[in-house]
Amino acid sequence: MAVQVLCDTIPRSRKVTMSETAVLSVDRVNKRFGGILALQDLSFEVQAGEVLGLMGPNGAGKTTLLNIIAGTYSPSSGRVNFCGRDITGLPAHKVCHLGIARTYQIPQPFTSLSARQNILVATKYGGKKAAGMEHDKIFDLVNLSEQKDTLARDLATVSLKRLELARALASNPTLILLDEIAAGSTDAELPRILGIIEEIRKMGKTVVLVEHVMKVMVEAVDRIIVIDKGEKIAEGTPGEVMKDEKVIAAYFG
Amino acid sequence: MAVRDKMKIPRLTTLTSIAVLVVLALFPVIGIPLNWLNYLFLFFIYLALANMWNLLAGYTGLICLCPHAFVGLAGYTLAIGTWVGVPFQAGLIAGAAVAALFALLISYPVFRMKGIYFAIGTLILPEALKAWFSFWRPVGNEYQGMGAGYSVKGVAGVTLGDTYWLALAIAAASIFLVHIILRARLGLGLTAIRDNENTAASSGVNIFRLKLSSFLIAAFIMGLAGAAYFIFSPRINPVGGFNISWLLLPLMATVIGGEGVEEGPIIGAAVVTFLRFLLADYGAWSLLIQGIILVVVVVVMPQGIAGLLRQVGAYRFPLRLLQAAEGKIPKNLK
Amino acid sequence: MEDFLVGLAPPLIKGILLGGLYVVIALGLSLVFGVMKLINVAHGDLVILGSYFAWAIMGWLGIDPFLSLVMGVPLFFVLGFFVQKFIINRTFRISLDAALIACFGISIIVQSLCQAIWTPFNRSLTTAYRLQTFAVGSLTIQLRYLLDFIGGLAVMIALREFLRRTYLGRAISAASQNEPVAERMGINPNRVYSFAFAIAMACAAVAGVLQGLTFSFHPVSGPPFLIISFGVIIIGGLGSMAGTFIGGMIFGLTQTLGAYFSGGSMLVQSIAPYLLVFAVLSLRPQGIFGR
Repeated sequence: MAVQVLCDTIPRSRKVTMSETAVLSVDRVNKRFGGILALQDLSFEVQAGEVLGLMGPNGAGKTTLLNIIAGTYSPSSGRVNFCGRDITGLPAHKVCHLGIARTYQIPQPFTSLSARQNILVATKYGGKKAAGMEHDKIFDLVNLSEQKDTLARDLATVSLKRLELARALASNPTLILLDEIAAGSTDAELPRILGIIEEIRKMGKTVVLVEHVMKVMVEAVDRIIVIDKGEKIAEGTPGEVMKDEKVIAAYFG
Repeated sequence: MAVRDKMKIPRLTTLTSIAVLVVLALFPVIGIPLNWLNYLFLFFIYLALANMWNLLAGYTGLICLCPHAFVGLAGYTLAIGTWVGVPFQAGLIAGAAVAALFALLISYPVFRMKGIYFAIGTLILPEALKAWFSFWRPVGNEYQGMGAGYSVKGVAGVTLGDTYWLALAIAAASIFLVHIILRARLGLGLTAIRDNENTAASSGVNIFRLKLSSFLIAAFIMGLAGAAYFIFSPRINPVGGFNISWLLLPLMATVIGGEGVEEGPIIGAAVVTFLRFLLADYGAWSLLIQGIILVVVVVVMPQGIAGLLRQVGAYRFPLRLLQAAEGKIPKNLK
Repeated sequence: MEDFLVGLAPPLIKGILLGGLYVVIALGLSLVFGVMKLINVAHGDLVILGSYFAWAIMGWLGIDPFLSLVMGVPLFFVLGFFVQKFIINRTFRISLDAALIACFGISIIVQSLCQAIWTPFNRSLTTAYRLQTFAVGSLTIQLRYLLDFIGGLAVMIALREFLRRTYLGRAISAASQNEPVAERMGINPNRVYSFAFAIAMACAAVAGVLQGLTFSFHPVSGPPFLIISFGVIIIGGLGSMAGTFIGGMIFGLTQTLGAYFSGGSMLVQSIAPYLLVFAVLSLRPQGIFGR
């Protein structure tokens, strides 16, 4: 039921096979950079309304995967389907209009614009769904209200991370890709971050979360997918995945 | 802040601009010396070019080394047009249109090039055009060695006053355009592209389309300014039409005046015109000195005069005055 | 068919030989680009300055342009060192765009200097042997093109040996591959840049002599050579000497074969290299042998 509401602005293509309840389907995706195979035969689905965790040691290919979903890269082979539509190879701005937003691991703001103007870009250019997004509510959610009019180049890294999130939310996406939003946070800040993810879920959005901070990973997500050297090595609930031998080997072996 | 959120232009700014425009328009009529009009004409042309170069480099982040392609193409279109019966008035618009069409044609390959590749790629265009027009002779049969030139026909009745008003209109249009763009969605998108192209794309900005818009507008206005120049100085040849000065002038004006700020090109164009006036009798040495000034300014004062003024806070007093006049009294004054 | 091949031989040979000139010009540009990631847009003009310098020395002292290099090379070396040290290094602190603009300013300075001192008219280095030709079998080869080829090989080998065998050379190589590591090894990047630019200028002096013997020149002859040498390093790939050599040949051949197949059209000869560079830039912006 949730999928219908989220995706009904996008026409379903009859040629695309993905589960009725899935919002995103990554289908046998390979990505090659020169001689290096960064992603190998990767397949999984993201169910509507869930929070899916993406885990793996450094260099496993998580950010590459996010880049492919968001349209920054095209896969060397394989397909990416979103809401019943094949989005493989679509440019990043079209992917955004269809309803996928992402944050960057290292914040990439528009340095000469203020925080408000930063998210205004997303509102004005993010497609029909983005029009009319209320900035104040977004700023309240990420706790950036006091710095609305500060130029991005004058913001501290902590605030920039919040700005990343605000900007991703501002285009009113169906699916939001979060790349290590908890990195560098103190233990005291973690409950707030968990709260934000919960709020996003309540908005009816689907989340894919890349995270190294275990507490966030375990408590915020419904399911986890583990990637190592570009391949999926485990998939399941946090409990199942943490006990998986292959996962333990990948991290400590 | 370069980009404004609101579309409304404060009434005071509009009134002042109209007043300045009217005063400038009256100059030919009230007996300002011809020499002054001459330099003001050049100032307006340089201003239009500088505004457009600033739109590309300062706001979109495109260091485009091909203004002289647009200027030369427009000039040649105008000139050749007058040889096949197209009056110069239509040739003016046709020239600008040809420049914009050229920009459209090369946009797809050129926007695939990033950074320095884009700079060199755009530099190739005027050089190639210069070579082309050195050998291509569609009408007329007088050869002057390698400098296959054309005179612009039918402009005998055009006075300095006429060209002055034309240039004033073009310059005013360029200022108005930049002003509007900065306050519209396009300005926001261009700034986003300049600051971080990847983030802009993932926020939904169609990079190619916005760069193209910027490029087309700049090509058209630069073409207009170029054609206007060749009405004023009705003789064109490959070296003059595609002269590197057409790149140096707007570049200098933007660097000296200040990049990425609205008043920068105005200040810069004024300085550049004044320099030309000072160095008018020195021929090649004039260009040499301008080159030296460019290098010195970019090393010592890269933010330009406008940037320097902003840093020093020189605008604070007039800005408060302006706000007070518009009825907004700042908290600490009342 | 045989006639076709026989007719093709002269422009083929000439194009390959001419490639040597483009290699020498490109080497200077390539060195600066490799070390500093900067395209010195004044490079073509500096080569022409080299031609003018040789011309001036020839007129003043009556000596052969190659001999004038004894003065030219050290002079250009020192000039390049100080330009990098006092101008370009400073702009790096501001932005890469600022460096580009500074180079453009230098381009204007050099062009107008040449025009002011030596007038806008065409010059060439008219030595006694300039127009000499000699026969190899049934082919006639022009001496100056052969000199270009030899010059290209010589400068390329000299540069390669320098980069491999001297301390400074290895420092420059290290800096062009990985600056932070080089810095930690005690190499001062700014110093390295200054020397790299100085060497590039020295190459420009040599290129200037070769160029002045091959073609006539005037103050604005520079930009075409900049574009061609940029094309050479794009096609040849950065850091590959063999690639640069092949790139030079390709551009030499483009001009001679273009002239041959178009019946000597000057238009084709001038524009063909531009189209080639433009095409490579738009189709494969990272270059043919690039990552």
